[in-house]
Amino acid sequence: MSDETRETRIEAQNPLSASQNNPEKTSHIKSLIWGGVVTLIILAFLPVPLFTTNLSFMFYMMLWLTMATSFNFVAGMAGYMPFGYVAFYGIGAYATGVLYKTFGLPIPIALAGAAAAGVAIGLLLAPTLRLKGVYFGIVSLALAMAMKLIISLMPAKITGGSLGLILSSANDPTMAYYAMFAVLLGALAAGTWLSMSRLGIALRAIRDDREAAEVVGVNVVRTRLKAWVMATMFPSLVGGVEAWYTNAIDLESSFNLLVTAKSIVYAMAGGLGFLVGPIVGASALYGIDQLIWRHFPTLNLLILGVVIIALMLLLPRGIVGAFAQRFSRFRRFIP
Amino acid sequence: MNELLLQGLVNGIVVGLIYALIGVSLNVIFGVLRVVNFAHGEFIVLGAYGAYFAQQLLGLSPLLAMPLVFLVFGLLGYGLYFLLVQRLSRSNDPEHASLLVMFGLSLVLGALMLLAFEADSRSLNFSLEPPFLMFGNVILPTTKLLGLAVSVVITGCLAYFLYRTMPGKALRAIIMNRDAIQIVGVDLNHLSALTFGLGLGLAGITGIIVSMIFPSFSPFIGQDYTLIGFIVIVLGGLGHPIGAVAGGILFGLAEQTAMVFFSGTVAMLLGFVLLIAVILIRPAGLFGVQNLR
Repeated sequence: MSDETRETRIEAQNPLSASQNNPEKTSHIKSLIWGGVVTLIILAFLPVPLFTTNLSFMFYMMLWLTMATSFNFVAGMAGYMPFGYVAFYGIGAYATGVLYKTFGLPIPIALAGAAAAGVAIGLLLAPTLRLKGVYFGIVSLALAMAMKLIISLMPAKITGGSLGLILSSANDPTMAYYAMFAVLLGALAAGTWLSMSRLGIALRAIRDDREAAEVVGVNVVRTRLKAWVMATMFPSLVGGVEAWYTNAIDLESSFNLLVTAKSIVYAMAGGLGFLVGPIVGASALYGIDQLIWRHFPTLNLLILGVVIIALMLLLPRGIVGAFAQRFSRFRRFIP
Repeated sequence: MNELLLQGLVNGIVVGLIYALIGVSLNVIFGVLRVVNFAHGEFIVLGAYGAYFAQQLLGLSPLLAMPLVFLVFGLLGYGLYFLLVQRLSRSNDPEHASLLVMFGLSLVLGALMLLAFEADSRSLNFSLEPPFLMFGNVILPTTKLLGLAVSVVITGCLAYFLYRTMPGKALRAIIMNRDAIQIVGVDLNHLSALTFGLGLGLAGITGIIVSMIFPSFSPFIGQDYTLIGFIVIVLGGLGHPIGAVAGGILFGLAEQTAMVFFSGTVAMLLGFVLLIAVILIRPAGLFGVQNLR
């Protein structure tokens, strides 16, 4: 964060400098805006299965909203850049598939298992949180690759080997759609909790100045761990629900680096660190992405790459971030 | 069994030196510019295509194509620095920003290569007489030996450049202290651009050597080389140009011996485990003497 935005943030939280606006009213307006956004999302996605049987477009939109939102928990609120984010998505997909197909458990329990597996691996990897900057990114990427190799080394009886797993007997797109809806709401709720509670203030304090946060008594390790657990649970659930929706799991698509790439692009295009950032970013870019993907599949990667470069060079703070910088008066109202 | 192990160790050193070359160029770029070149592997593959087309269209042997590729990639790097990298130093978090921009560049390059050269694997038409030499029971293909020799020569030249010439010393000085070097009157921008050019030029040459030794290349394998490069530079110390040589040989040995006893997948897994273990236990790298931050 630059000094400029940091100043406005301090201003927003410091009752003395915000003389004309009392902070309670500010946070009230902020909550109202956020509540409006969430209501809009619910209204947009809840009734879709009543009108059409072609759920794919809306299903994947919810998927990317969830991925971008939970990516924001670590990247925007805690200041980490996990390049191997896809690992948790893949683990979730495989945990669901293995529990359902190999062990014969019902889908809801398999999904719960997927979340548990994601969180367990996340906790196992928690020591990587003490790494700084690029080291964390590189290790995270290496871990995603290692995870894929480990699954490929597991006996084909369990993971289906190179053919992957087919879950056709579980086919129920409408239920899978609502499962993704529930996961999205869960991610939004977790985001609300992470950013509007004391925890969120602590997280941002650590991101902006770790030493200072420690001095005023923030437990750095535990605070980051909470954000990390949230950020690992949701992609695992998303991976599991997606596996249920498509009924197919294989190594290449479950551990495709594009999953990380798109989570990053959507979250960044909106603006990291804002609750509404990933939502704005994913809504703005998802439609364009679908259009390109449908008509020019090979150009998809090319354009995704160009978008990442252009965003970093021209709009590094994202749409919401740029707005907040341009109209800093309104900065305090943006959730 | 012992012969197999011996063969594995010899292969390890040969492959390791080539890995070292990947790491060295990656480390020159990271050390000087603080740019994590995620697209390095794509430039390596692009270098291999350069040699391929130089051979197909101009009839140049891969060895003669090396200076040409170095020059072209060097110029490309010099230009790309001003287009992409220079702005990053003004960002709030240059390292993350560079990681993301280079990630985008790697997607772009991979997609462009796929569009231009299509998905089939290609290989260089390159062979030597005799095709292999026997040392006792150890077989060494002559192309591998040649690749080894070229890697050693290039690493030697680079070491000479970095430690014995003025621009090389200035370059190392940037790694040590970015601010002080400007006070003594070094044009940081120009030198940084040259460094990026040097790094990409080396990546291009590495691509040619790699394609002489490994059977084939395709637009998809860039990422593998990038990851190998990351493993090597983390083992040898991030930002430590010559430390990467030790890291490369170590990784080559570990990978090739694992391949003798287990499989290619286990060998790759071992690489990642090594990387993670080293970062967690000794973030400065196995051979990094001082923290270069």
